[in-house]
Amino acid sequence: MSEQDETPPAEGTTRRRALMLGAVGASAIVSIRPALAQTNASVINCEIPVPDAGRAGSYIAADGSVVPAGTPGAFPPATFAFKGEDVKTALGGGQLPGTTYEQSQAYVKYIRRLQSGTSGFTCFASLQMPRG
Amino acid sequence: MAERLFHAEPAEALRIVPLDDFTLVFHRPSGLTHLVTAPAPEILAILAGGPRTRDALLQRLAEAYDLADPSPEALDARLAELVAAGLVRAA
Repeated sequence: MSEQDETPPAEGTTRRRALMLGAVGASAIVSIRPALAQTNASVINCEIPVPDAGRAGSYIAADGSVVPAGTPGAFPPATFAFKGEDVKTALGGGQLPGTTYEQSQAYVKYIRRLQSGTSGFTCFASLQMPRG
Repeated sequence: MAERLFHAEPAEALRIVPLDDFTLVFHRPSGLTHLVTAPAPEILAILAGGPRTRDALLQRLAEAYDLADPSPEALDARLAELVAAGLVRAA
């Protein structure tokens, strides 16, 4: 009874593929500015809040997941957004500024899990781009 | 508001490359690259055939696709994103 498969059009009908207009909370568009894609300066200046503004105040568990404030063993939110340059260093094995070793590890795991539509994602994505 | 006409950017202004789950849209006049997901490419494809009002666009989408949520508000949100990205003009 699958209706969303892309079955060949039956005679006299057009193919009707399933489509969602409103994915909740997710934007359908991520725009990449040339400056962000091509220059180090913009990447260094972009920022990643931990966690993102929509979940401000929540704690970050050791595995990088966002958990309720006060969860035992989890880390409080970062007091300032991290600069792209700091995150790049941390992704390479360094430590985020103003954090303990374990806290930095948890934050980095959070950042690696960032999804499209979450603030900081574009910054994180641009850090992954190879530079010529 | 529903009577506003939405225009796609001229075809020569766009370079559209479908990937697996995303579609890349390069907008030549601005030099911006947009990574878009459904339903943005479908909306752009319909508007490429000529300007439409939101209601006419919704009707066309409902004809062409099995819409899980034929909501004018959701379409307004997607159109607002396309307008903000500079890929669609509202007049």
